[in-house]
Amino acid sequence: MAILTASRSPCSLSPSPRSQDPFWVKKRYSVTQLPPITVTSHLSTVHEAEVHSRSRTITRTPTPVHSVTPSKTSGDSVLDESDDHNLHAALTSEKTSNTVQSEFGHCANQSYRYISQHNPDKPVAEDEIEEPPYYILFTTYFSYLLLVVIGHLRDLLGKRFAKSSFIDLMIHDGYAPLVSDFQSFYARRLVQRVNDCFYQPISGVAGRTILVYDRYSEDFNRTQTYTGTTTRALNISSYNYLGFAQAHGSYADAVEESIKRYGVSACGTRLEGGTCDLHRIAEALVARFIGTEDALICSMGFATNSTFIPALVGKGCLVISDEHNHASARIGVRQSGACVRMFKHNDMGSLEELLREVISQGQPKTHRSWKKILVIVEGLYSMEGTMVNLPKIIELKKKYKFYLFVDEAHSIGALGPHGRGVADYFNVPPSSVDVLMGTFTKSFGAAGGYIAGPKLLINSLRMHGHSGPHAEAMAPPVLMQIVATTTSIMGVSSVDDLATSKSTSHQPTFKPSTNGVAMSEVEDEYLHPGMVPASALPTWFSIPSSLADGSEARERIRRLAFNARYLRAGLKKLGFITYGHPSSPIVPLLTFNPGKMLMFAQMMRTRKPTPLAVVVIAYPVTPLVTSRVRFCVSASHTKEDIDVVLRACDEIGDILDLKHGKGKRWPIEEIVKRSVELVHSI
Amino acid sequence: MSAGNATLEPLLTWLTLILAQLERTFYKVPGSAVIARYVRSSHQNDPGRTVLELILIVFAVRTLMQSRSRDKSEGKLIKFSEKEIDELIDEWTPEPLSAPLTEWEQRDLASVPVIAGPNGPKPKILSTGKTVINLASYNFAGLAGNEHIKERAIETLRKYGLGSCGPPGFYGTVDVHLELERDIADFLGTESAILYSQGFVTISSVIPAFCKRGDIIVADRAVNFAIQKGIQISRSTVRWYDHNDLKSLEDVLISVEKDRRKRGTPITRRFIITEGIFERDGEIVDLPKLIELKHKYKYRLILDESISFGSVGRTGRGLTELYNVPASQVDMLVGSVANGLCSAGGFCAGSTIVTEHQRINGTSFVFSASMPPLLAVAGSEGISFLRNTPSALTSLQENVRAVRAVLEKTEGIAVVGHRASPIVHFHLKIPCIANGSANGIATNPTTVMPPPTGPSFDYEAEEKILQDIVDDALANGVFITRAKRLRGQEMVETRPTVRIVVTAALTKKEIEKAAGVVKGSVAKVLGKRKA
Repeated sequence: MAILTASRSPCSLSPSPRSQDPFWVKKRYSVTQLPPITVTSHLSTVHEAEVHSRSRTITRTPTPVHSVTPSKTSGDSVLDESDDHNLHAALTSEKTSNTVQSEFGHCANQSYRYISQHNPDKPVAEDEIEEPPYYILFTTYFSYLLLVVIGHLRDLLGKRFAKSSFIDLMIHDGYAPLVSDFQSFYARRLVQRVNDCFYQPISGVAGRTILVYDRYSEDFNRTQTYTGTTTRALNISSYNYLGFAQAHGSYADAVEESIKRYGVSACGTRLEGGTCDLHRIAEALVARFIGTEDALICSMGFATNSTFIPALVGKGCLVISDEHNHASARIGVRQSGACVRMFKHNDMGSLEELLREVISQGQPKTHRSWKKILVIVEGLYSMEGTMVNLPKIIELKKKYKFYLFVDEAHSIGALGPHGRGVADYFNVPPSSVDVLMGTFTKSFGAAGGYIAGPKLLINSLRMHGHSGPHAEAMAPPVLMQIVATTTSIMGVSSVDDLATSKSTSHQPTFKPSTNGVAMSEVEDEYLHPGMVPASALPTWFSIPSSLADGSEARERIRRLAFNARYLRAGLKKLGFITYGHPSSPIVPLLTFNPGKMLMFAQMMRTRKPTPLAVVVIAYPVTPLVTSRVRFCVSASHTKEDIDVVLRACDEIGDILDLKHGKGKRWPIEEIVKRSVELVHSI
Repeated sequence: MSAGNATLEPLLTWLTLILAQLERTFYKVPGSAVIARYVRSSHQNDPGRTVLELILIVFAVRTLMQSRSRDKSEGKLIKFSEKEIDELIDEWTPEPLSAPLTEWEQRDLASVPVIAGPNGPKPKILSTGKTVINLASYNFAGLAGNEHIKERAIETLRKYGLGSCGPPGFYGTVDVHLELERDIADFLGTESAILYSQGFVTISSVIPAFCKRGDIIVADRAVNFAIQKGIQISRSTVRWYDHNDLKSLEDVLISVEKDRRKRGTPITRRFIITEGIFERDGEIVDLPKLIELKHKYKYRLILDESISFGSVGRTGRGLTELYNVPASQVDMLVGSVANGLCSAGGFCAGSTIVTEHQRINGTSFVFSASMPPLLAVAGSEGISFLRNTPSALTSLQENVRAVRAVLEKTEGIAVVGHRASPIVHFHLKIPCIANGSANGIATNPTTVMPPPTGPSFDYEAEEKILQDIVDDALANGVFITRAKRLRGQEMVETRPTVRIVVTAALTKKEIEKAAGVVKGSVAKVLGKRKA
């Protein structure tokens, strides 16, 4: 990893007056001043629009500004709707008027919406893995081989002739090296070459656009030099699926109010004096949102897996894990002491085969039967964009009696017609999954994670999970972001529909928990627990009317679904190889060659007029050959933003020879024109 | 015969042609002549060798072709027919996913007080609506509810939004994170620092980032749960020394070195892992002596300052300030922004090599979203508060003395820990005796279990009495808590304690009054029990 230095060589080309200061040097109260924007891209016009809209919303009230004027400013024209939907624009501007264009793009055209939902008439599609031509595979392996050989040569010669720079890798002064040269070989000799693409510091909101600090390296990425300037780029990489990363608007207003009322910290662990009423309210809301009896909240997404899985399984238990499961789940399983077996990624046949083997064989050596078997899968896989085949797993679960743990870190909020994750997407009752885990970092623009399930289970986890007595409780502002966003997705019912609940007695009843928040309420519909009664919310939370009916969030969910499908379909039609499910907002574009991956990121970042911030990933996160670019689509993107991405990919893909996909190709103009048709065709 | 030959003739010619063609192509490949020459000459010298080499090649090809997954267990599998497997599956009944909580656990969970509104020195309890004095939450320097921090948090919210929406590697590193890292490094005087988004996972991620299989860890027997988990993940060889006994540590260090000499193995990485102020009992480690030992025996020191950072020393820099030891002497100094600075997250401070290594290898750093920017700013503001307000730490120490003075005079309980520790633990003086007792056995560094001293105790019975004390104190307006442990998951079971967290946000009078209430509750509960 690069060492951040502020030094700047005298021979550098463009010494700017600010360049002597690295950006983190104390500028305590400068947070409100934006650093200078360098690129005269059309995105800077977005910045102007932002200033406009800030001046408009300078007197923020909890209710939205009911401005009659359409939100279009002269500067927006490039990114905003350019077609004739003035009527729509006027209508929707009411809802989006207190958002900022650089954080959340306006998109009034109702045809740019899609409902993400599984078609029950069709079988669940198997993941297709498209293979590249052999020469691509060959050159990729060859480039790794070359890098490894050169790396070892440099180590060999370096250790002999430049001992001083290798001192940390050799035994010195009676100490073994802190990091052995073998362990760090990959980081030193391969990752360092592409370090330019990672750990780029940003400023401001990671919304529709992002302010990236400009930097360059004079010593082959060992250190990075910051120029002090920033570039505003289109952000197609943050986990901001529903676009809730916003510094302005109703959600931020609610968070501000919570800071005023609660401060910033919970000051303690959940079991030892860090629980406040907001925790209880948020947990009850999350349980309602997921559609389970109870839920618990943990202050960190990673820790949700790593500290609660050990409370589920232990010695004598078996965990069957998808091979692409996230590191946090693996750490959790390792800490639990349970046995682990893996099955091929998202391959239900492999899972069934494994289940038959392990149940019939029992524990290794003793052949005693397993205490219990827990299958851990993810709703949406973060690197592949693939979606779990939930109906099939539930079918297997009935036969093989295992427990099912679904990690919905990426899918919650992002999938399903109501944004309630994979269960919602497949229209499966959430109770058919034993443990539903998810995070708030991604779709909700907050932090931390949750585990939802039956009350018995959740209470047991509260007592036996590591987080309860040892980890800090979630901070109140984060809780409020969760409360505000989940509420807006569900909508608020003005009347307490206690009367209607009586008639539907077969539904699970939400017992009033001892938190003083009346939750004795039954949803009208089992699968989609309906609206939140106002009594379940903090009394001081005055939710604006546009959020209360759930329409604002519904727009977000549908925009996300459209954008996700459009980008994927567009890339396919351009001839790229992509992985994953059509509805997945994670769209990996395969570059195979690690060198091309680096070039792709750099060309995207320096692209004129619109720079794009993209995430690239390679081995060891992915298999060796399948280096990739990972796009994360957001509801904050407009259709035009996706056009921009597609155009950029089209050009760069030609230059880098990345188009190896099969199937009929369309020219870019046709894709842009027939986008709606495309989205509905896949 | 001849007829046979005649039919074979074209075939043979064809074969010869093919062979000739193959030979020509072979010689076209650059370098092939060398190989041919080598094979020919080696065959000439020693025909047996050719055979051996051929066998080797065949073996190598076979090894390469073999599938490398789970071949070892294949042989041990019992063969079943499909029908038998189906029967076994039908027969198998798994245990329930979670056992229901016991009656005591249910009571324990229900007795956790919920605070209505902001937490701070005097929060309101939701169930009773009463305002109580808080001696349970971490608020050492009194940063909770600080208006300036709130203001700065709101400013940050308005610029950065709430979540960072990404891991540090993928556009999740916000400038305020780097600012807080720099602030921590400056504050402590280390080269750099790295920020994790939760305090608890910090050290359990730092340890396995450096300690690998084959490395040696020498750790205190009473380290906190997070360290235990980190050690478990690391798979290193662990040696244990008696709790906070540096003599025992030295013995272990000597025995490890002796062991290595005897085996003649090369030097591996060696670490001492301990806590600054022990979360479990409030003991403080003798840092200068520890540093001396570490240098003498060439160990690296991983010091967990989750409790001591922000609570001891003149300005809250922690143990290094208390003992006036440069923080750069500690190789990996781990602290908690959540506890010490009333925000969220944790950090590891040390040399640049140490922190940069974690940016690729610290699992919970790499694979987790970075912390919300406004919490990072709250941390930075906490540091500047500590820098500018040394009086906070002075009054904290005064309050500690006041609490201890009252509690030490209380009958029936034993106050443990160091007198400067801002967390004060006490347990029952007379243990609830369980069946059986054991005699002293010599310390064995290969096991975490301490040598048994004195009679064993009935864990749950003691917990219940302590909980009665806690409940009674709450009813009388003082919020304290039992030190909650994960029974059955901890490596060593220690005496249950009640933990008091002292804060600078209360006046000495209020603290004394609160300690008096605790004293009253102890007397009442223990008195009732006797009667």
